[in-house]
Amino acid sequence: MHSLSACELHRRFIAGEVSAREIADTFLDRIRRLDPALGAYLEVFEESVVEQADRLDRKRQGKESLGLLAGVPIAIKDNINIKGEKTTCASKFLENFVAPFDATLIRRIREEDGIILGKTNLDEFAMGTTCENSSAHITRNPWNTNNVPGGSSGGSAATVAAEMASIAFGSDTGGSIRLPASFCGISSFKPTYGRISRYGLVAFGSSLDQIGPMAYRCEDLERIMQVVAVPCEKDSTSLPDPAFSPISFEKRFGDGFTVGVPWQFLEGLPNETRALFDRAVETLTSMGAKVVEVDLSILKYAVSTYYIICTAEASTNLARFDGIRYGVRSDRAQTLDEVYDLSREDGFGDEVKRRIMLGTFVLSSGYQDAYYRKAQKVRQLIINKFNEAFSKCDCIAFPTSLGGAFTFEEKKDPLSLYLEDLYTVGANLTGVPVMALPSGFLSDGRPLGFQLFGKQRHDAELLSIGRAFQEATDYHTKRPKGGDK
Amino acid sequence: MSEDNWEAVIGLEIHAELNTASKLFSSDCNRFGDEPNTNISEVSVALPGTLPVLNKEAVRKAIQFGLATQGEVQLWSRFERKSYFYPDCPRNYQITQLEFPIVKGGSITAFVEGEEKRFFLNRVQLEDDAGMLKHFSSFAGVDFNRAGVPMIEIVSEACMHSAKEAVAYAQAIRSILDYLDVSDCNMEEGSFRFDVNVSVRKKGETELRTRSEIKNMNSFSNLEQAILFEIKRHIALYESSDVVDQATFRWDPDTSRTILMRTKEDAQDYRYFPDPDLLPLILTQKEVDAEKQYLPELPLDRERRFCREYGLSTQQSYLFTADRKLADYFEETVKMCDNVKMVANWIAIEFAGRFKEMGISIWESEIQPKDVGELISMIQEGTITGKIAKSVADEMVKTPGVSPKEIVKSRPEFQPFQDMEKLKKIVEEVVLEHPDTVEAIKNGRDRSFAFLVGQVMKRTRGSAPPEQVNKLLKESMKSK
Repeated sequence: MHSLSACELHRRFIAGEVSAREIADTFLDRIRRLDPALGAYLEVFEESVVEQADRLDRKRQGKESLGLLAGVPIAIKDNINIKGEKTTCASKFLENFVAPFDATLIRRIREEDGIILGKTNLDEFAMGTTCENSSAHITRNPWNTNNVPGGSSGGSAATVAAEMASIAFGSDTGGSIRLPASFCGISSFKPTYGRISRYGLVAFGSSLDQIGPMAYRCEDLERIMQVVAVPCEKDSTSLPDPAFSPISFEKRFGDGFTVGVPWQFLEGLPNETRALFDRAVETLTSMGAKVVEVDLSILKYAVSTYYIICTAEASTNLARFDGIRYGVRSDRAQTLDEVYDLSREDGFGDEVKRRIMLGTFVLSSGYQDAYYRKAQKVRQLIINKFNEAFSKCDCIAFPTSLGGAFTFEEKKDPLSLYLEDLYTVGANLTGVPVMALPSGFLSDGRPLGFQLFGKQRHDAELLSIGRAFQEATDYHTKRPKGGDK
Repeated sequence: MSEDNWEAVIGLEIHAELNTASKLFSSDCNRFGDEPNTNISEVSVALPGTLPVLNKEAVRKAIQFGLATQGEVQLWSRFERKSYFYPDCPRNYQITQLEFPIVKGGSITAFVEGEEKRFFLNRVQLEDDAGMLKHFSSFAGVDFNRAGVPMIEIVSEACMHSAKEAVAYAQAIRSILDYLDVSDCNMEEGSFRFDVNVSVRKKGETELRTRSEIKNMNSFSNLEQAILFEIKRHIALYESSDVVDQATFRWDPDTSRTILMRTKEDAQDYRYFPDPDLLPLILTQKEVDAEKQYLPELPLDRERRFCREYGLSTQQSYLFTADRKLADYFEETVKMCDNVKMVANWIAIEFAGRFKEMGISIWESEIQPKDVGELISMIQEGTITGKIAKSVADEMVKTPGVSPKEIVKSRPEFQPFQDMEKLKKIVEEVVLEHPDTVEAIKNGRDRSFAFLVGQVMKRTRGSAPPEQVNKLLKESMKSK
């Protein structure tokens, strides 16, 4: 049952072939068995999951109308508020913070009868690429537990990969759902900026943050997008577009479509990664795509631009964590300044502190012109280049990372980890929709994905291509061996 | 030391809370005086995951102020984060405007020491207020009811040159806000407060010298005193060849001096940058023009009309129109009785004097315009003398709600002296008792006549109709 798609689970539940309680018990049982070794979850709502399931079963018995997600078990990254539950952001600072309100996303999932299983692990405040920067524990990659799951939405990726949830939500500021999806062999979709409300998502880089779903199959991503991609009056940056509605690949692109590839930007790729990427492009060609070259060489400035903007925004977004109103206040604090200094000293991990300091620096007087303002200008140039590229194509194919998931021992210095974001941050800087899809396996069995960027607000078009790609490939049907006996 | 060689240069930043129903970026109630932390939600206290959504009503009020001051309402403006840590600031950044404010420029006209003067605005920016710290014996608490309340910060050019000008400017701004009904302008509640920048320079100099900033004052008299104090301090420093350091002060009304808060060295770096949670504020010319229909008659227009329509002096006219409710009161009273001069005099001088000690204006008292009108009518009809009218006015202030007619009725000594036979008798007595004076008058000393009138008034306790007294006195002297 756990291997079924969300859509199929939902269909079976509606048809009366399976009860919500059975679904809940199946997934809770898997979590109990598999998660101790993986550490994908920070909290599992055992009691509430059963309650939610029983309520659904009663609704079905009573012939009440059931929502689009009825029977679908969903996991939520622990930087998204669920009323009455803790939102820790994997930070010591918020270890006791109970959210008094639902994120808009959560409200929509409840309205459509999704079953919310629990909260998943992340890098503290979504800052990281390995999920190691969690104050609670690390998360292991289900394909090989010596490897990182990728970050920051590592818990969400691992829980989907290990089939401990049908769908999981993550947040993507610079690749935080796409890198772990690639490392864990699943699919993920970062919608156009503003498509899913950020209300209730703990902000990291507000102009870059976007919530996105993760699942094995694109049809499941489309299903959940129908529920959560709606305008929200509590988020000023929410798009006013009508609710997401899937479109048919045949109707839209049946007569062919154009894929842009920035070939000259791919020259540094390791051979195996390049081979898998080329094969994905060939598949697209076999689906009727015409491949054209696009120039995205400007992306060589993307990582520095991204780290200036996201840290600038983060340094102020995280200023509210001061020990005054909520969160942990340091016991050592005697004066007001000490409340600030020591609470933040004790509450934040190294990476968070590093980014706050960097962000404070790039905004400070005397340096703002050289860093923050210049980065904003470069960001605009990148947007212009993307627009130019999209005038020639319907989507752009791109790698997600240099290679597959690495071990916990590799890559420890922050700078080399920042460089992992080279291929992913462009979509956040420009706000375009992007999906990461499984594109095969490296010779040692590690999964790898690639990305397809879409035009602004062409989320449905992009996902339709993703679904067609999965009809032509079977990478997304493979499962990690570990644990599932 | 001679202050005459020096010229002060003053600029004002006025913070006016807007009287919208809800806060600037949330639907929380905007109301003063409620129990602490009752007008709050997750947004007001900046819980993680909350986002600001701009209140359109606050934008409309800012536009109205811009239009009323002939500023240029900007069709493209944006909000910025101003970072600083303080417990009353829940996000630890304020959302304000800096580079692209909603209104640029503008001017107002004020009446200063007998002269009309024009002062210029640099900009108007929309921003949210902070909460309030409350200190208890062993701890401090924060009340977030005020956190997020919309404000406009009205920044003047450095175009004022005396404390009186600064006060007149601030009062004129307050009048405009009051007429527009965009702010309660309640100084005690802190909904109208100012920061002032003061520097001095030698007369004839064109460059600005180092300035002091005095923060967060909420009374016109504090503003005036603080400016005077700083001007003196700067001049004294320059005259003794010392330097003025750029610094920020607060005014201490108890010691009547400015207290140093921080020098330029510890100036905070606010790290302004555009707030990514909010879109740029884009308006259409149509939206801006639509607000024009909501503009009422503004203080200056009303001042001009008062001069024209009622024949008041410019000074009187400013006096009435500066305070919207006082001007309303004046116009209501004029409707009751047509002697505009007397109405002006009784409101602006007689009653104003009587209420001065109480620190209120007549419109805040229970005395109604019809009462003042009635009092003036009684004088005009000769029912009471001017002198008794003043005593009646005293009673009106003491016993609010009792009409002047009732007061006169209930007090025998206020009754008009109607017994002409008795008056005649008194007049005759006075004439008889002062033969010398009578003689002098007959020889042409007209001034002595007033003495005799005074004597009669004394014996009638001022209640005799003056024209009757004159007539009877003349008749009586003739017969002598």
